[in-house]
Amino acid sequence: MKFVALFFLLGGFFFTTVAAIGVIRFPDFYTRLHASGKGDTLGVAMSIIGLAIYNGFNLISLKLMFIVVFIFLANPIGTHVLSRAAYRSGIKPWVRKGE
Amino acid sequence: MLDNFFVVLMVGLIFIVMLMLFRVFKGPTVFDRLNGLGVIGTDAIVILVLLGFLEKRVDMYVDIAISYAILGFISLVVIAKYLEGKGDANS
Repeated sequence: MKFVALFFLLGGFFFTTVAAIGVIRFPDFYTRLHASGKGDTLGVAMSIIGLAIYNGFNLISLKLMFIVVFIFLANPIGTHVLSRAAYRSGIKPWVRKGE
Repeated sequence: MLDNFFVVLMVGLIFIVMLMLFRVFKGPTVFDRLNGLGVIGTDAIVILVLLGFLEKRVDMYVDIAISYAILGFISLVVIAKYLEGKGDANS
């Protein structure tokens, strides 16, 4: 069971790192939002699922799974609200040069 | 059993938070700064739960993580709705 928890924790750290690299290096606001909105949600959810598997079956694991469900609901809603606010205040999407 | 691994994971997550602080201070628009703050708030939940496992007091730190997640989400939505349509795309 410890190896399953180790696999989930390593996978979550990998996806969080990929999201951070995307937020640092992508060229536009919307592409940066795309990197953080998907990679960070999956990374944090996998990390907390790994911690719940490591903890066992009790009330603390139930609270950790509540955090996972809340992250899966709240993080895409926050990303969508932020993207709509940016589009309505006039930020143009990035296009390739020459098109 | 996995305590040393938890310490390594916490150091890596704090390094990611430092990278996000670079985006928060540099970001061209104000929405980039909000995006960086959202990522910091989401990673801080994992850092809090890992700190609880290291201190052997998970039952306290899990409640702090739940309230931190709810407060971060509500503040992100409120600030985004406040900045919507202000027209300061270059600040």
